[in-house]
Amino acid sequence: MSALDRLAERQLVLVTGKGGVGKTTLTAVLGSLMATRGRRVLLLEVDPRESLHQALGTEPSGGELVEALPRLSLQNLQPGAVIEGLVREKVPIAYLVRKITESPAFHQFVEGAPGLKETALLGYAYRVLQSGHRPGFDMVIVDAPATGHSATLLAAPGLLAQAAQGGQLGDMAADLAAFLADATRCGVLLATLAEEMPVQETLELIAMLQAKFGLRPDLVVANGLYPEPEPSGIQGPPGELLRARRQLNMAELARLAAAWKGPLAELPLLPLDRGPSLVTALVGRLEEADP
Amino acid sequence: MSGDLLAGRLIVVVGAGGVGKTTLAAALALGSAREGRRTLVMTFDPSLRLKDALGVGEAAKDEPIRVMEAGSGFLDAALLDAKHTFDRLIRTYAPDAAATRRIFSNRFYQDMAGNLAGILEYMAMERLFEMRASERYDRIILDTPPTRQAMDFLQAPERMMNLVDSKAIRFAMDPWWDGKGEKNLAFRLAARGVMELSDRIIGRRFLLDVVEFIRAFAPLFDGFRSRAGEVRNLLKAEETRFLLVAGPGPDRVPDAMFFLRKLEETGHHLGPVLVNQVHPDPGPGSGGDPGLVLLRFLANRDRRGLGLLRSLFPDGRCILPVALEPRPPADLRTLGLLYERLSSTAGE
Repeated sequence: MSALDRLAERQLVLVTGKGGVGKTTLTAVLGSLMATRGRRVLLLEVDPRESLHQALGTEPSGGELVEALPRLSLQNLQPGAVIEGLVREKVPIAYLVRKITESPAFHQFVEGAPGLKETALLGYAYRVLQSGHRPGFDMVIVDAPATGHSATLLAAPGLLAQAAQGGQLGDMAADLAAFLADATRCGVLLATLAEEMPVQETLELIAMLQAKFGLRPDLVVANGLYPEPEPSGIQGPPGELLRARRQLNMAELARLAAAWKGPLAELPLLPLDRGPSLVTALVGRLEEADP
Repeated sequence: MSGDLLAGRLIVVVGAGGVGKTTLAAALALGSAREGRRTLVMTFDPSLRLKDALGVGEAAKDEPIRVMEAGSGFLDAALLDAKHTFDRLIRTYAPDAAATRRIFSNRFYQDMAGNLAGILEYMAMERLFEMRASERYDRIILDTPPTRQAMDFLQAPERMMNLVDSKAIRFAMDPWWDGKGEKNLAFRLAARGVMELSDRIIGRRFLLDVVEFIRAFAPLFDGFRSRAGEVRNLLKAEETRFLLVAGPGPDRVPDAMFFLRKLEETGHHLGPVLVNQVHPDPGPGSGGDPGLVLLRFLANRDRRGLGLLRSLFPDGRCILPVALEPRPPADLRTLGLLYERLSSTAGE
């Protein structure tokens, strides 16, 4: 079974990696690919400054669901708003809801409570996937925060469940932790550049996912590779730059492949700006590379 | 607006993730040391990249490590780790051994202290305060963790002060939590109309753990508050400069603008902006080679980005491109070369 076939079976996929490695574009690429395979896909972005819509050429979400392509929607999610919605749902009296959500103590709690925002985000994804939800989705792909924070993201429901035993929040967090631990339903796509520090962080994250969550990424994507220069091609300093960067990419790719025996896809640096044509080109490349 | 890269006794290097902040911070620090300044570079990037370039290991989490000496100047490097610093702070500032034990044995502290939102920033602030107060350095260069969303570090002092003063904390410190507080608690929470939230949603045990933690932690609050105030003043002081590192290309301009606006709004002093990893123009050549086509595209893209940033700041702000080199600096020698290139660009 290829890596993309396996990803197509997941309900929740976190796309993670170091900042600046192209996570957002890859989220759009994976989403487009899965939508063309017939899955109903929701892409979730957490960054308050939206950029996912640029990759797909739609209007910014502003927190709403936006349909980008048939079977492919995107949404920019603000965890604070999700938590408020949750309180509204759990507390039946409107007066109390107002009293709670308007109190400074509530805001300090939402800002400061460890793991709450992360749990709210994942909880939202979990709920969207339930059979009764309208509109229905088969798959949620999260443009996850940078590597250091994705550990916090994944650990949050477990920590919260442990801390808040008994309350509804604790029960929800426990459900969510069980869902996340189910490798048949949840997967990770790890994006990296073939450069020293991104590869280092990727290897650290792979080890951490294994040790802490028993999780193995479904796919590691080495993005933005400089092309192999033609021997008779450009010379002089530009040629040297290109050759040295290619060489660096290859050395780091070898280091990555030596430590990571799972599926690894290579994607080239293309002369295209962020946008739908870049996504389309990379969809093609990823299908070709599908390990 | 000064083009002098090393203006300021405290230089805070900010920018989005993956733009090369850590490397540039290290290169600047090395340059400062070579100019005879007693210099410290601090990084609290969880990936601890600086380690690799400067050859410092885990020991730098406890005490700054000497990287090199040059005449009267030297370069030290310190690494920041939230849990490490937190534990040490408690050992340093807790009034007695019993208080230390109470905090260390609290379940909330054990489970959560290293994971608390923004904890890295609080701890960086504490560490910065400590290093400044030691007066061992003429210049401190602070690398900040990659954050796209917020200037968490800038907000850390304010947030710490707000937290200590907050209603939630004073609520937790109310005497009715003492003794047989269980019944009282339910009564008081109900009276405040918060019972639904606390009981049904959060769970009472969690609340009690947090309250216990806050109570154990309380003797340290005043210290946290006053140090946070001093760091806030230090960050806004004339002697402090914020140096922004931006990625190349128009896609990265919104990131840079966000940081610049935020810094200016909050009354911080801006130093130069470094646009890093700019692809140089490959010049003329036969058109068809794919490598050449790509390099041309990238050089053009990066030039567009630089032009866009400059057009948004027509006030002559110092915006310096840093060219992408064939190989990234991997040791002190190549870091030194990077500094020389930086200062010659700044001098132009």
